[in-house]
Amino acid sequence: MQPGRTDKAINEMRKIECIAKISVVAGEYDIVVRAQVKSLDKLLKVTDEIQMIPGVSKTTTQVIEKEITS
Amino acid sequence: MKIKIRKKYLFFVLAFSSAIIAAVVSGIDTIAGKEIGDPWALSLSCFILALLVSLLFGLILSIPVKNKSIGSKTIDPTFKRLRFIKKQELKYHLLAGFGNAAMTIGYFSLFPLSNYDPSVVLPFAQIAILYLVIAESITEKDTPTLIEIQSSVIVTFGAILGSISLSGEINLLTFIIVFLVINPGWMIFSFYQRKLKLMKIDDRINDSINIRVWNVVFALLFTGLIVLIYDLFSGGNYFYDGLIASIKQFGWMALIALGTFFSFVFYIRALGIGKASVTQAVKASVIVFSIPVTIVLSYFGYASFTADPVLLLIKTMGIILMILGIASFALTLTKAYVFIKMKTGYSIENTMKDIWKIKGVNRVTAVAGEYDFIVKIHTRTLIKGYERILKKMEEIPAIKEYKWQSVLREWEDI
Repeated sequence: MQPGRTDKAINEMRKIECIAKISVVAGEYDIVVRAQVKSLDKLLKVTDEIQMIPGVSKTTTQVIEKEITS
Repeated sequence: MKIKIRKKYLFFVLAFSSAIIAAVVSGIDTIAGKEIGDPWALSLSCFILALLVSLLFGLILSIPVKNKSIGSKTIDPTFKRLRFIKKQELKYHLLAGFGNAAMTIGYFSLFPLSNYDPSVVLPFAQIAILYLVIAESITEKDTPTLIEIQSSVIVTFGAILGSISLSGEINLLTFIIVFLVINPGWMIFSFYQRKLKLMKIDDRINDSINIRVWNVVFALLFTGLIVLIYDLFSGGNYFYDGLIASIKQFGWMALIALGTFFSFVFYIRALGIGKASVTQAVKASVIVFSIPVTIVLSYFGYASFTADPVLLLIKTMGIILMILGIASFALTLTKAYVFIKMKTGYSIENTMKDIWKIKGVNRVTAVAGEYDFIVKIHTRTLIKGYERILKKMEEIPAIKEYKWQSVLREWEDI
């Protein structure tokens, strides 16, 4: 994220339909976003929408293969 | 449009909404309790109407609008439609249903013993928090921390102080009902409802509406059975009285069923986010909300509310203790993501299982991309996170490197 633009960017992300969770984190990354999509086409659309948000300088996508949760 | 709110707030919104509705329902319980009188008939009647209302609302909420059901759009995003119970749910539904039946009969039995004051009856059910903390420490992967135990004790004592009887009388039967019926019932109910909420059904997270509907079905079965057995031994006619009360007091009982339906749907959703003990502790705020209900009831002559300054002071102290306990629950949870890269030559599945065994690990996700795993951590303090989690992770030979990212704020779909 570009410094000073995180809050506005989060507000924009909160409007995106397929985003299930947004976490602001401290460390190498600034924001972790969890998206639930039905196809890779839809994933591309979500990533595209995130990249269009002013302040977002870089994104990296990790596709879930398997999950264990409590 | 979908609303995303902070996860912590979502949990509190759900638990407090459940508590507010439960407080209002307790007021109607008082009126119905006075009209019907007998707790056995009242419990049976309560579940008969609860089943009708739950089925009716379950069907209404199943109606699809633009590819999604009304229930999914309004109450629980994981709800698709009303469905039949799955085999893997049966055991938990049987236990939760029995717990609900026991606590409901116990709860209604306390009303005549407490002079029909809901602000006295409701707090007694909060001792279940302690039972839940003990049960979680024995059975769950996520063992309660000292802070959680401290907070639970504070909330429970707050609840007991808040429930001080206006007459000051201590009744042995009341204690038996409280410690051996209501609270064990609550504990079983909460514990297994949470297990059901965390279960995946057809690759989807189980929804609170189906859980509620099926819980009512089993609770009605157990209540009917218990009342019939009691009839056999006592020579009473409470089963028949319960059926008649469902017709004669249809209005009040339907209102109770309606309120209870929404109160429990929100409660079950909250159970899916927080631990059963923490959810119950937040729901203990029902005591605070039940005070205005008691005042309204006493205005209409259904209950009596004290003006004694000493009793009011003790009640206030109890409420302050409860609020402090709930606040300490809320403010001491730290979350983090750990991004992990693994070495080649190790099994992904086995490494996932090794990570999952670590206490405090809430979710392990195997991903394709720059990293191999993303792990979600819940810990009460960062020191505990380091000592209990990171050190254990370093011991797993398959892990090449990891990055810890502490969560500062979090939003999710409501």
